[in-house]
Amino acid sequence: MINRYRASAGIMLAPAVTLIGVFVLLPMLLTVWLSFQDWSTQTPFSNASFIGLDNFYEIFGPTSVGRDFKGALANTAIYTALSVIFILPLSVVFGLMVYQRDVAGGTALRTVLFATYMVPMIAVALVWSKLYSPSEGPLNQMLGLVGIGPQPFLSSPRSALISIVFLNVWQQVGYFTVLAIAGLTQIPGSLYEAAKLDGANRREQFRFITLPLLRRTLLFSAVIAIINAVQVFEPVALITQGGPVGSTNVLTYHIRRVGIERAQGGLGSAMAVMLMLSLIVVICALFAFANRKNDE
Amino acid sequence: MSVAWTSKLALAASLALLPVTGWAQSVNISYLTHWSPETVALLEAAAKDYAKTNPDVSVTVRAVPFGDLLTTLRSQGGGSDGPTIGGIYDLWLPELAHDKLVAPAPDAVAGEVKGAWPAGVVSAASVGGKLYGIPNEIDVYALNYNKALFKQAGIAAAPKTWDEFKDAAKKLTNKDAGQQGFGMINSWAAGVVHPFASLLVSNGGDLVKDGKPVLDSPQAAETFQLYEELIKSGASVPAMATADANTTGPFLDNFVSGKTGMIIMANWWESALKGGMGDKFADIATAPIPVGPSGDKPHSISYSWMTVVNANAGAAEQKAAWDFLAWLNNPKSGKNGASAMSDILMSMGILPSRLSDIETHKEKLGSEFLSGYVSVLADAKPFPVVPGGQEFSESLQQTLEALQYGQVSAKDAQATAQTDATSILERAAK
Repeated sequence: MINRYRASAGIMLAPAVTLIGVFVLLPMLLTVWLSFQDWSTQTPFSNASFIGLDNFYEIFGPTSVGRDFKGALANTAIYTALSVIFILPLSVVFGLMVYQRDVAGGTALRTVLFATYMVPMIAVALVWSKLYSPSEGPLNQMLGLVGIGPQPFLSSPRSALISIVFLNVWQQVGYFTVLAIAGLTQIPGSLYEAAKLDGANRREQFRFITLPLLRRTLLFSAVIAIINAVQVFEPVALITQGGPVGSTNVLTYHIRRVGIERAQGGLGSAMAVMLMLSLIVVICALFAFANRKNDE
Repeated sequence: MSVAWTSKLALAASLALLPVTGWAQSVNISYLTHWSPETVALLEAAAKDYAKTNPDVSVTVRAVPFGDLLTTLRSQGGGSDGPTIGGIYDLWLPELAHDKLVAPAPDAVAGEVKGAWPAGVVSAASVGGKLYGIPNEIDVYALNYNKALFKQAGIAAAPKTWDEFKDAAKKLTNKDAGQQGFGMINSWAAGVVHPFASLLVSNGGDLVKDGKPVLDSPQAAETFQLYEELIKSGASVPAMATADANTTGPFLDNFVSGKTGMIIMANWWESALKGGMGDKFADIATAPIPVGPSGDKPHSISYSWMTVVNANAGAAEQKAAWDFLAWLNNPKSGKNGASAMSDILMSMGILPSRLSDIETHKEKLGSEFLSGYVSVLADAKPFPVVPGGQEFSESLQQTLEALQYGQVSAKDAQATAQTDATSILERAAK
C-alpha cells in the first residue's frame, strides 16, 4: 500500500521536479562548473579547461578585475541594504494609511501606489533621468525655489547610487504596500478592541499588536525586496552605465559586461557564484534572525 | 470551360509552379547598427533602392544604443538567427575575429577594398592579414570651442599649446554662471579615453607601443598632470561631464547650452551639435589638439568603423550580405558618384573613408566645422587595435574618472593605469 502511494506521488511530482531540474538546478550547476574553468562564452562548453580556483583568486585579487568585482559587490550590498531600509518601513506606513477604514480615498491611494509598480522600467528610467538632470531637471528647479543649490544626483559618485535607490523605492513601494495591507487584514480586529478597552493608545497598539503580528509578512517582504534589489540591472544599464567612477556598477551589470561583452565566461560564472552564495547567506541569516525572535 | 474545371486547372498550375517559386525564395538579411532613427531611415531607403535590382533580397535594419551594440553582437551573433550584418568599432574586431563571430571578406570584396581605401584603414579592418569588414567611416578628434564664449572672455584665437589651453580654460571658467572652461566626459569609455589619448599623442606619447602599454612614459605623466590641474583649478567640473547609454547627456547639454567653453570630441557629433544648438551651431569652431611640452606638432586619435558579416549566418545570407555591402559602398549607389554609405555618413558629419567618397564630398568636407577635422587627419594616430582593447579602454576610463573626481592623484592614476593595462593586455594576448 505504502509502495503504491510512493509510486503515485513520484509520478505526480515527476513533471514539476523534472522542469525545476532542467530549468533551475541544471543552469545553477553549470554555472558552478564553469566558475572553475577558463572558458569564452563564444566557444562550446567542450573548449572549457579546468583551472581550479584561479577565477576566484582573480576576482578577489589586486588587479583591475578584482577591484571592479569587489566594487560591484559592495555597490550591490549598499543598494540592497538601502532599498530594504527604505521600502519596508514605507510600505508599513502606507499600508496603515490605506488600511485605516476612517480615511477617505483609501482605494484610490492603493491604486496610485500600486500603479508605480506596473510602469515599465524603461519609462521610469527615462523620466527619472530627466528629473535628475543637473541643468534642466525639475528636482533641482524645486530645490532652487527653497534656496538649495543644484545637486549633481547621477553625476557624482557620492550621490549616484543613492539616486538609483530612490528610483527603485519609488517604483517598488506600492507592491510592498499591497503585501503589508494583506498582512494587516490577517490581524483580528478583536485584538485592537481589547487593547482599546485596556487603555492602549494608537502607538501602543502598533507596537504591541500590529508590528509583532506583521512579522511574517515583513519577513516575506524583506526576502523578496532583497532578491529584487540584488538583481537590479535596468536602471543602471539605461541611465548610468555603471558610472561615474564605477559608483553604480552593480554585480548583475558587471557580470553582463565581463561574461557577455568581454566573453570571459569563466570569470563571469565565478562572479555569479559569489553573488548566489552571498544571497543564500543573507537570506539564511534573515530566517535565522526571525526564528530567534519567534523563540523569544 | 466550367468554373469547376477552371479552378482545377488553376490549382494544378499553382502546384506545378511551387518548386519554381521555392527556388526564387527571398533571402532575408538584417543589419544591426547604433545609428539614430533619422539615419536608420536613410539606410532603409538605401536598402529599398537595392531591392529594386535585387528583389529576392530583403534587408531589415535594427538599431540599439551604442552601449548595447557589442553585447548584442556577442549574444546574438553566435547563431544563424543573429544579425547578418553589424556595424562595428575597429577596437572590437580582433576579439570578434578570434571568436569566429565575423566572416572573412570574399576575395572579390577584399580586392576592391584594398584598392579603394587608404592602407591604414584597410589594416584596421584586417586581422592576421585577412580582411574582415568593409570600412566605412573614419573618426578623428579635434578641439571644439565656442567662439561666442571666447569673445566674451577676450580670447583671440584657439589655443595652440598646453599653456595657452590652460590659460583659455581658466579665462572661460565662470563658477557663478555655472560655466566651465574645458569639458571632460565620464561614464562612457571612448568618451573618457579618446580625448585623453589625443592630448597624450599631441604631447609626443602613446597608449600602446608594439603591443605593450606605455602609460609610464614622462609624456603620459604630463598628461595625467594636465587633467589634475584642470580639475583642481575648477576649469573642468566632473559633475558636468556625465554621458548616458546613447552617448548624449549632461556633457553634451552643457556644451550646446554654452556652459562649456572647449571640449575634445570627434567629427561625428556634428549632427548632435546641430540638433542641440540650431542657429547657434555657427558659434562652434574646430582646431587642432593643443601641443604639449614634450610634443612636436598637433596630433590626435583616430578610429574607424566597418561593417562585418556574421560568420554563423547561412551561406545564402552571407552571400547576400556581402553583395549588399559591396553595393552600398560602391560609388554608383549614391548621388553624384558617391557611395550610398558615404551619403548616409555625411548626413551625420562623419568622414567617409573610401578615397573616391572623400573626393566626391570635398565641398561639404570643406565646411568650417568639418575642415578642422579633415586637416588633422594626416597627423592622427590610430587608436591601438589590440586583443583586450575594450577592457583596456574601460579600465583606463575608471582610472581617469577617479582622477576627475579627485579620488586619486595624477601620479597614482598613472601607476594604476600602467599596471592594469599591462595585466589586461598580457592576459588577452595568451
